[in-house]
Amino acid sequence: MSDRAIVATGAYLPRFRLDADEVREAWDQSPAVASARVPAADEDALTMAIAAAEDALGDTDVGPDELDYLGLATSTPPVEEGAFVSRAVRALGLSETVRTEAATQDTAAGADVLSAAAAADGPALAVAADAPEAEPGTTDAGMGAGAVAFLFDEGAGPRLVDRADHADEYPGVRFRERGATAVDSIDITTYERAAVTGTLASAVDGLSVDPDRVTGVAVHQPTPKLAGRITGGLPFEGVDRQGQVANAAGDLGAAGVPMALLDALAGADDGDLTVGAFFGGGARAVALAFDGGDVTGPDLDGGEFLPYVRYLRERGHVVSGEVAGGGAHVSLPTWRQTLDARYRLAAGHCTECGALTFPPEGACRRCGGRDTFDRVELPREGRVAANTVIGQGGAPPEFGPQQARDGPFGVAIVEFEREGETVQLPAQLTDCAPESVGIGDRVRAVIRKVYEQEGVARYGTKFVPV
Amino acid sequence: MNDAYVIGAGQSVFGSFPAESYRSLFATAFDRAVDSVDGDLDPDRIDEAYLGTLGVGGRQIGLSAPAVTEHVGLHGLPTTRVENACAAGGYALRSAVTAVRAGMADLVLAGGYEVMTDSSSDHTKWWLGVSGETEWERLSGTTFAGVYAQMASAYLEEHEATKEDLARVAVKNHGNGAQNPNAQLAFECSMEDALNAPSVAEPLNLYHCCPTTDGAAAVLVASEELARKFADEDRLVRVAGSGAASGAVGLFQRDTLTSIPATRTAADRAYDDAGFGPDAVDVAEVHDCFAIAELLAYDDLGFCEPGEAPRLLREGVTDPDGDLPVNTSGGLKSKGHPIGATGGGQVVELFEQLLGEAHVQVDGARRALAHNVGGSGGGVAVHCFEREEGTA
Repeated sequence: MSDRAIVATGAYLPRFRLDADEVREAWDQSPAVASARVPAADEDALTMAIAAAEDALGDTDVGPDELDYLGLATSTPPVEEGAFVSRAVRALGLSETVRTEAATQDTAAGADVLSAAAAADGPALAVAADAPEAEPGTTDAGMGAGAVAFLFDEGAGPRLVDRADHADEYPGVRFRERGATAVDSIDITTYERAAVTGTLASAVDGLSVDPDRVTGVAVHQPTPKLAGRITGGLPFEGVDRQGQVANAAGDLGAAGVPMALLDALAGADDGDLTVGAFFGGGARAVALAFDGGDVTGPDLDGGEFLPYVRYLRERGHVVSGEVAGGGAHVSLPTWRQTLDARYRLAAGHCTECGALTFPPEGACRRCGGRDTFDRVELPREGRVAANTVIGQGGAPPEFGPQQARDGPFGVAIVEFEREGETVQLPAQLTDCAPESVGIGDRVRAVIRKVYEQEGVARYGTKFVPV
Repeated sequence: MNDAYVIGAGQSVFGSFPAESYRSLFATAFDRAVDSVDGDLDPDRIDEAYLGTLGVGGRQIGLSAPAVTEHVGLHGLPTTRVENACAAGGYALRSAVTAVRAGMADLVLAGGYEVMTDSSSDHTKWWLGVSGETEWERLSGTTFAGVYAQMASAYLEEHEATKEDLARVAVKNHGNGAQNPNAQLAFECSMEDALNAPSVAEPLNLYHCCPTTDGAAAVLVASEELARKFADEDRLVRVAGSGAASGAVGLFQRDTLTSIPATRTAADRAYDDAGFGPDAVDVAEVHDCFAIAELLAYDDLGFCEPGEAPRLLREGVTDPDGDLPVNTSGGLKSKGHPIGATGGGQVVELFEQLLGEAHVQVDGARRALAHNVGGSGGGVAVHCFEREEGTA
């Protein structure tokens, strides 16, 4: 293999967290994990992927427009058909010529984008992001959410040194029917266990690396218990690093092994081998072997624990929200024209008088000049100039479902400064108690789902307190 | 230039009327306006009509203005629908004044109409905030309550203003509206009520917000020659000044969050046109769609120095017995805010004030001001009125 290595990594875990005690109180049964991360109402695999990718790109000199490849692995793509990775391309400011790939068919998808990024020519980003769902109950309470990103390029860091696959038919093991949102399983314990541990053992067996050199593993882990069984079935004697994320963050779906891999690689030195053991229901297994380490692991602590009812709301289990058309409507062609302003905070810098205008269209706000704008990107951090908290009844109907799920929300006018000039834009606050944000507070831009209409999700910038 | 005079003004009761339509409400306002003229006016003398409506509910998006003038029997009249959001009525009046001043018409009908309360709550929400900046402001999750709340947050931060001052607007205007048989929310409210109502958009609560309203208003604007035929000499109400201005539609697009620049410009132009300033105004109807808007209006109309609006409220300057009573009708807060009819409704109150016939009468009122804001300040119309001294 080449000198290509993982030169930067990033991770994202949503703010909310569900503790097992809440689940026990609701269902009189224990879930399979101690706690699980819960995506907020305005989050999905795409927004989490963008957050992890930003984290990785922020850690390197590689500019977003230099990327040659962006692969996104998830079992919960925001649309069942449609090129959603293109939305990440715009949101991250990547080149239009970047090769994109979505791997969505099973929880082993992360292996495919990692392999592709490792084999690409230039800087390549592999992202795994997921938020699997199940019917409310103890199973769904163990479903987590998170995202992890690996940037491959020439340089120092862990290198992908081998891959082995195993495919065999095991119908009924971790699948989702067409049109369904809940992950299902036929639930025949020994059959499923055999499917998972057997295929993974076979895939790992196909690796050409010396098993004695393998000191780290990151295995498929919908639950810590199954992870233990899988690890026990692998032919490695000297494992002292096990990537463990399920017990803290829940079943991360296609992001599970990649997140565990980041965890395991964090403790590895040069010469240490780490094996990622990916499983996809139905079934297939992929083993990836990495040489080396020295990456920053995910921070699995922190987060804000939710009451169970609030959890059901955030997840959307108890809220339905069909939004009809009405008096105010922003068409998709119009929306699309503003993507750079919505994602990248593109503003107009007047070449005549120096003033900033947002959005960058029409006449200059100060001198009234026409066609005088240079497109510039505002800093991602600004200052709250005015704010409000929108309570029940105060939101436009597009935001009714969000409010039902997430409660009252803050809307701020945020002021940005660039080279001595200021400009403002209005946006929602997220990931915070809105009443805690005051005028003068610093806030940072993140990409979130803004609303959904006619079946189409619209994403844009929201702000979180710094 | 010919001077323009208001010779009649009338409105329907503002409220919620499932048994009415925008046409029937307008008919009531029109009949009352004609009846308010001193002499016996033949409606066929009307040369032109400018009528404001936003068209809430989408009931008749196109040609609703001819629909109402035809409904009241003004067959064949040239009629124009004016749309400038909540300032549609003020701008309709301005068009009427312009037509008379230009000599194009001797008698012009101005006013407006709106029906806002006859849709399901889901459908109604789609029509709230439609005059905000749509692509950014609305899609940040705000209707006007949120946008005015943002202004309130900045105003309370920048000036010595408190939530009590916002509540004072509600208490004063409800006190006035309680005496107005045309008001929608004709009841008094206490400081305690106004401070403790449920939050709509922090720091604004329910009592800081105007209601949605059905209603119509009609104003008859005449040339001097015609006015002198119909009005007694000491009852001649001249449109002394007309000023209007546009501003950025989105609050975020403006240089200030604690002032409405278009109000300042429109007021300057109206005062300049009238030949008198805020010190000469005896009574005013200002656009109090939200409590903070009344404070902004005091500052921007020059009733006080910037940031001093709370003092006017605390000292009772704008109470009915103060030096400059504001919103003696109850304002949008208590009287109601049927969008297209609001600007005309303000003129109805001021016409009655200048003739000494108002429900909350300001003694000896001679000069009056109407202030009508579209959206959060994308369009503003200000008019000054003066009752002429009798020559007798």
